[in-house]
Amino acid sequence: MRVAVLSFAHVHATAYIELLRDRDDIDLITADPDAPPGDPERGHALAERLGVPYADSWDAVFALRPDAVVVTSENARHRRLVERAAASGAHVLCEKPLATTEADAQAMIEACARAGVGLMTAYPVRFSPAFAALDRSLADGSLGALVSVHGTNNGANPARSRSWFGDPELAGGGAVMDHTVHLADLMDVLLGGEEAAEVYAQANSVLDADLAGPGVETAGLVTVRYPGGVVAAIDCSWSHPADHPTWGGLTLTCVGERAMVEFDAFPRLLGGFDSTTGRGRWEPGGTDMDAAMLDEFLDAARTGRRPRPDGEAGLRTLRIVLAAYASLRTGRPCVLADVQRVAS
Amino acid sequence: MAELDIAVIGAGGIARVHLPAWTALGARVRLYAPDERAPELAGAHGATLHSSLHEAISGATVVDVCTPTDTHRGITLAAVAAGAHVLCEKPLALRTADAQEMADAADAAGVRLYPGHVVRWFPAYDRLRAVVAGGGLGRIAVARFTRTGCYPAWSPWFADPARSGGILTDQMIHDMDIARWLFGEVVRVHAHQRGHLAAPVPPAPVATGTAVLTHASGVITQVVGVWGPPATPFRTTFHVSGTDGTVRHDSLASPALRVTGTAGDPEGIPSGDFGQSPYLAQIREFADAFAGGVQEPRVTAADGVAAVRIAEAAVESARTGRAVELSTSVEQSTSMEGIVT
Repeated sequence: MRVAVLSFAHVHATAYIELLRDRDDIDLITADPDAPPGDPERGHALAERLGVPYADSWDAVFALRPDAVVVTSENARHRRLVERAAASGAHVLCEKPLATTEADAQAMIEACARAGVGLMTAYPVRFSPAFAALDRSLADGSLGALVSVHGTNNGANPARSRSWFGDPELAGGGAVMDHTVHLADLMDVLLGGEEAAEVYAQANSVLDADLAGPGVETAGLVTVRYPGGVVAAIDCSWSHPADHPTWGGLTLTCVGERAMVEFDAFPRLLGGFDSTTGRGRWEPGGTDMDAAMLDEFLDAARTGRRPRPDGEAGLRTLRIVLAAYASLRTGRPCVLADVQRVAS
Repeated sequence: MAELDIAVIGAGGIARVHLPAWTALGARVRLYAPDERAPELAGAHGATLHSSLHEAISGATVVDVCTPTDTHRGITLAAVAAGAHVLCEKPLALRTADAQEMADAADAAGVRLYPGHVVRWFPAYDRLRAVVAGGGLGRIAVARFTRTGCYPAWSPWFADPARSGGILTDQMIHDMDIARWLFGEVVRVHAHQRGHLAAPVPPAPVATGTAVLTHASGVITQVVGVWGPPATPFRTTFHVSGTDGTVRHDSLASPALRVTGTAGDPEGIPSGDFGQSPYLAQIREFADAFAGGVQEPRVTAADGVAAVRIAEAAVESARTGRAVELSTSVEQSTSMEGIVT
């Protein structure tokens, strides 16, 4: 199967490329024609360093008729590439957030449906075996009814390595756009796709004020209420120090009527101290969730079945983020008007 | 300290912690509680048992109010009227107006009123305050606090919002007070609460609360409270981020002593780490002030009123679904000095 990775704008592109490169069943091609000329982290330079084939233009990469594409462009530039991929008959794995507007997300879903190709949103954390166990324990009743959850997705400011993350036009926002969606997707799994009823958000731009564009939030707290009553309290801040040994992490604590469960997507495997760097040692544990996510995408592409999480999951979680921005503008909770209420 | 005559009112969990702290400081203690456990508690600590509130309060230097929250106002006003200083367990009251009335009455009578926001004396929070106030985190952006324990079903009044205020007021006021102590006045509050929120509760009840506080300084704080299933161990955590780094705490992560192998009962009242009990440290600081010391304790009546205001706003938000705006024109607290924002 021929797979194309389209754009290296997102920091996750490298990990996807390496995983695809190392598989025997994939004929990989990459393209990053919109890269700033001479950027050693982008374009031909990155492809060469990773040892993968590179096409110099979008026309050139689509002329190779990829069976599937991975879209890792800037958030606001997903739509253009997804529509083109769909038109060429390629299945699509699109980096999160699916888009920066509901109209773009809808257009992408419709384009893929029209073309008969799958559209998957790149939410790797739901592929963690520990999270799957949490989901099962909720489904089989051993947790009891879910009362509320609180979760964190903190990371270093990605604008440090990719400046477009600090550009609201290209990124659609700051930390709230970048990090709320991962936890929103886990809730989407736990609640079976129940759409949020109401979102409240508060944010500020205290951290890394020099990196982000004006008005781009670097810290955010988002509270989501679902129609069945479950409340999710989320810290989506880019509050993880850039010089920390890890990029950040993700946790989710579920309070059920019979038990509490704490999920850590990136548990610390080894600690200690590294005298050569003068920093704490932090060897991450857990499993390779990106690899499991790509397995799902490639299997769905191969068999023609619907991938999970699909474009609709991407849209549902995007709506939560857009409601969070509406709440930030008004200072009040934002009720999602077009919620399709699911009986609890 | 032997000059102090302390009237402890109540014989529940908090009285059982306060009473030995007073006797450890050498105070004379009397006890009154309409509670069958009162004689045994008085006997165990050499306290004089009184048979009426009036009798216990008369002539006392300090009245220590360790009763359910809905009775705080009446007992405090009676104590103030009798000329006694008051240590009142948190929350001062269920409503801001009541808390303010208590503070005003103490002021007018020339006696001192202090709320028992004891978390300010827990070593991790005391140290956090020092780190934040010392500028160790640079400019603060965002903080989160969690407080988890088993549902306080051992005494039925906790589950009754008319008596305790529920989890938002009774439990989460601890971290609301800490957040305000660290990051300054709160101007907006949004909160939810879920679970078993009214008495009587079923066996093994659960309740949770979440609140987002917006401070005038721009800092945003998330407070999460859990009254969990019966085997839930008591645990508190916090995580604070600023321009110069982060600080985090997990009360279960690094105990000085860890005991395993027993089927231990979860405790309702956390004990501090080894070293001085935070309850004793709190009472010592209050006792110095009650004895005429010039040093104001780290928490004042105004702080207690402000904490009730935040909690009351959270309750209103949870009830109405709205974010509640708080004006900052209320009296300034002296404890706000030295905040780095």
